[in-house]
Amino acid sequence: MTCSEVQRALPEFLDDSPGLAIQTDFETHLKSCPDCSDLVSDLKLISSEARQLAATEEPASRVWVRIASELRAEGLIHEPQSIRPILLPTSPRQRWNAWWLAPVAAALVAAGSYVVSHKAAPQVAKHAPATPVTPVTASDPEAPAVAAPSVPTPAHQELAQKFPKRTDNIAPAAAATIESEPSAEDQQFLSAVSTLAPSMKATYESQLQAVNADIRESQAYLDRNPGDPDARQHLMDAYEQKALLYQIALDRIQ
Amino acid sequence: MVSNPAQAEDLAQEAFLQLFRKISTFRGESAFSTWLHRMTVNVVLMQLRKKGLPVVSLEETLEADDEAPRKEFGTKDVKLTGSIDRLQLQRAIDRLPPGYRTVFVLHDVEGFEHNEIAQIVGCSIGNSKSQLHKARLKLRDYLKFMRAEKAKTG
Repeated sequence: MTCSEVQRALPEFLDDSPGLAIQTDFETHLKSCPDCSDLVSDLKLISSEARQLAATEEPASRVWVRIASELRAEGLIHEPQSIRPILLPTSPRQRWNAWWLAPVAAALVAAGSYVVSHKAAPQVAKHAPATPVTPVTASDPEAPAVAAPSVPTPAHQELAQKFPKRTDNIAPAAAATIESEPSAEDQQFLSAVSTLAPSMKATYESQLQAVNADIRESQAYLDRNPGDPDARQHLMDAYEQKALLYQIALDRIQ
Repeated sequence: MVSNPAQAEDLAQEAFLQLFRKISTFRGESAFSTWLHRMTVNVVLMQLRKKGLPVVSLEETLEADDEAPRKEFGTKDVKLTGSIDRLQLQRAIDRLPPGYRTVFVLHDVEGFEHNEIAQIVGCSIGNSKSQLHKARLKLRDYLKFMRAEKAKTG
């Protein structure tokens, strides 16, 4: 190969998969031509170093705040209902299939509040539990993913009626393992979405994975930094995000 | 696409708002990132047009670049061995003509494939490959020049 032939074949050699014959001729030429060898090395170096320039910083938090504010103003997102679920499915079919979404969304936020307050004062909780809980048995496959607040709220009472075997058997240890693996509620949520809005299942599945990952990471960080108020708030925000996801799904499938 | 950080924030905000409003229109015919990039490019172009700034299509800029002869900076003996200074590389990229810069950033910095770049910027795959190669050659020239200048000044 001549130098001009090598330079014409460079794009294919650098980015595509060149044929074996071309590659052999190419490499043979490079061994004998320092100029072409330098050219190839330089172009490879530029391409590899350029990848380091990929943006690693997210936009400032004010951008996300403004986005959320604008979306709320347009009615495209709603505030999560932390106390009482007010949106309920209307048609009988939807009522049967999705009635549990609203109280679970509320319970998620309540769970977040409990976990966050429990993480803030682990020593106190060890000696004088702030909440009246009873240990869950390890063999109980229906081990709940929710925690009871210190004073039963309307959402908790409604949850207690709908999940009679689950809501009273709560332990701090169980609360601490919240979201470490896909919960029964998550699976039921995705099953409901799959049935009632199949075109959205992939979207909700990936969003659920992302928000669960955020909860796990926030929880792990809070474990390492129990006195950090920002860590507590971040975990609370992560639970609210999950509750919001449930709420959005509820809105969509109505 | 814009050099002003505050403007970039505003446009990023608008792009994400558009994404949220139009998410239901995503058909999955391309990768989600390609679709988002395309939407972002359109948001920026609309903003530039609103401001009355001239917007030239990528194909036009690429054709113009083809006509410009490659300049020889007398840097034949300068080698780019080892690593490249990241700041110098960024400055060199900023000097690239818009068409070269767009394709180079999308491919070598962001990691898009040529078929995706063709969808994002509205050019052919062959054009994308050709302009990427020319962008790299131009960057090499710029970097060697910068290195030679630095060697002179010490």
